[in-house]
Formats: sequence, structure tokens, C-alpha cells
Amino acid sequence: MELKNGILSANLKVQGGKLLKCKLELEKDIIRKIKITGDFFMHPEEKIEDLEKVLIGIKFDNNEIRKVLLDFYSGDVLVIGADAEDFVTLIMSAK
Amino acid sequence: MEKWRLLLRGSKNAFSNMALDEAIIRILPQNTISFYGWEPSAVSIGYFQSMEEEVDTEACKRYGIDCVRRVTGGGAVYHDSQGEITYSIIVPEEHEKIPKSILESYKVLCGGIVDGLRILGLNAEFKPVNDIVVNGKKISGNAHTRRIKRILQHGTILCDVNPSLMFSVLKVPDEKIRDKMIKTVEERVTSIKKELGSVDKNKVVDALITGFENVLGVELVEGSITEEELLLAEELKKCKYGTKEWNFKR
Repeated sequence: MELKNGILSANLKVQGGKLLKCKLELEKDIIRKIKITGDFFMHPEEKIEDLEKVLIGIKFDNNEIRKVLLDFYSGDVLVIGADAEDFVTLIMSAK
Repeated sequence: MEKWRLLLRGSKNAFSNMALDEAIIRILPQNTISFYGWEPSAVSIGYFQSMEEEVDTEACKRYGIDCVRRVTGGGAVYHDSQGEITYSIIVPEEHEKIPKSILESYKVLCGGIVDGLRILGLNAEFKPVNDIVVNGKKISGNAHTRRIKRILQHGTILCDVNPSLMFSVLKVPDEKIRDKMIKTVEERVTSIKKELGSVDKNKVVDALITGFENVLGVELVEGSITEEELLLAEELKKCKYGTKEWNFKR
């Protein structure tokens, strides 16, 4: 399978929830940079930076990303407007 | 009956408004409910939003509209200097009236607005997570944060809304759908003026004060911002809310 490179972005409107956006930089299928924005709520708010950090170095792959998101959601964080799967869908739909 | 401080803060610029909310949460001499307006009109974006993605900053410069990022999540909000009233509630997390759950807190605190709007004769209802609707249309949006074991919830009450002005400063994903979005706003958003035919902002604030008193079981006593809060707010305005570094952080 072709390895992805470059800057990708995606928007996702969650059913009955909020609007998620992301911009990411891939190099040989690995996430080098990622920025997640949107009108959701996250408590505590600073956790968004933790999420972005923990996604760096992860393979641009459904299962790998899902692992990271499920682990994040199981921690001390409350997200309103999107669940772990929504973020997986968001990131994987980036082009 | 427990007494809380009521602050009628008048209309200030976006940076001062946000700085004052933070100064109050940091110092908190008393549990406080504030009412304020935005002069000039402004756009505030949620903590997780990108200013450049959400706001046409060139248009804002042209119209003299301020752009600020909030500490609370949520969406981009246009604060019309004439058409809107903003409130903030700042209180310790441990307060007996505040549920432990953030989702439940929205319900309780928004309950004050719902009660106040009903006093005015509006068929208002809380719509989870953080909206208040009248006849199914949004009249109030709210946002909540918890820091240093204290709560800040702030929100808007729409007295009069101008969708085309709103969309000239908020970015639309596709120019072609700007008209559709204006129409959508007209169908999904309402204001006190639209529902009652007219609006008297002083009467609205009075009703909201009573609403909060009823729902929280407290007495709101008009007070003033302390010197300490004012000084901290000035500093926060200079070093945080007035800076590109904060507002364009994401």
C-alpha cells in the first residue's frame, strides 16, 4: 500500500454533536504534526494538547489511531460533542 | 438566604470582558453573577477553535469588530453591541447548588435563564447540552469551564439578531452557501424581539436576576469589582486576551 506524505485536512460534523476539524502532516504514513480544532468541549481544556502530542509518531492507520483515542478517552478527561470513534473517523478521513 | 454579588458591568470591549471574567474567577471575593455587553461588537471563538478558520479577520478590521478567543470551548459567537446580553456565573466547584457533573451543571445554571425568560412570557426550555430554546429555536448559548476548583459559566441571551451581519464576519465553508446559512440562522435562531415584538434590555436583566435567584435560592446583591480584580483584569488584557499569541494560538 502506498505510504502517504504531505498535509491533509478533514472536517466532520458529528451526528447530534459538534463540528470537528483537523490538519495533519504525514511523512511515510506516520503523523508528524496534527492540529485538532472544533466547537466541542473538553475538560480539562489543556488535554487537547496532550491528545495532539500522543498522536505524533503514530501510523496513519485505523486501528493504531483508534488505540490512541480509546486510551485517551479512558483517562481523566471529559469530551462533550464527540466520542473516540468520531475522532478516529475525522483523522482517517483526512485528505 | 445566601447572598451573591451581582455585577452590572456595562459594555466593554471583548478583551476587557474576557479578562474580567478570568480576574473574577481567580480572585473570587464572593460568588458572582455578572451581566455585560460588548462594545464594540465582537466575535468570540471557543478555546478549541482556530481564529483564522472561523473568522474573517479582514472583515472584522473593516467593521471595527473585535476578535477574541475564550477560555471556554464551544463555537464562534457574534456578540452584537446592541442585540445581546451576556452573563457569567463564577462560583466554587464545591458549592452545594453546583452538581459535580458538568453536564448536570449546564442544566442547573441554564435553569436560571430559562426561569428568567419565562418571567418575560417566553416559552423557554433547556436543550442539552448547552442551549436554551424558545419554540424550538435557539435563544441562548452557554459555555462552561472549571479551573482552580472554580466554575465559570458564561453565555449569551439574544435580544435582537442580524444574521447577515453575523455571516459577514464569520467564515462560511463555501461562499455559495452563505445565503443558505443566513436562511438557516433565521429558521433555527430567535431573539426576544422576534418573539415578543419588542425588547427592553433592562427588563430582561431584571427578569434574569430573578430567574437566577429563584433557581439557585440565593439573593443577588449589587456590588462592584474590587481594585484587586480590576488590576488583574488590566494585566490579563495586556498579557493574554489582547495578544495575538493567545487569540491565534490554535
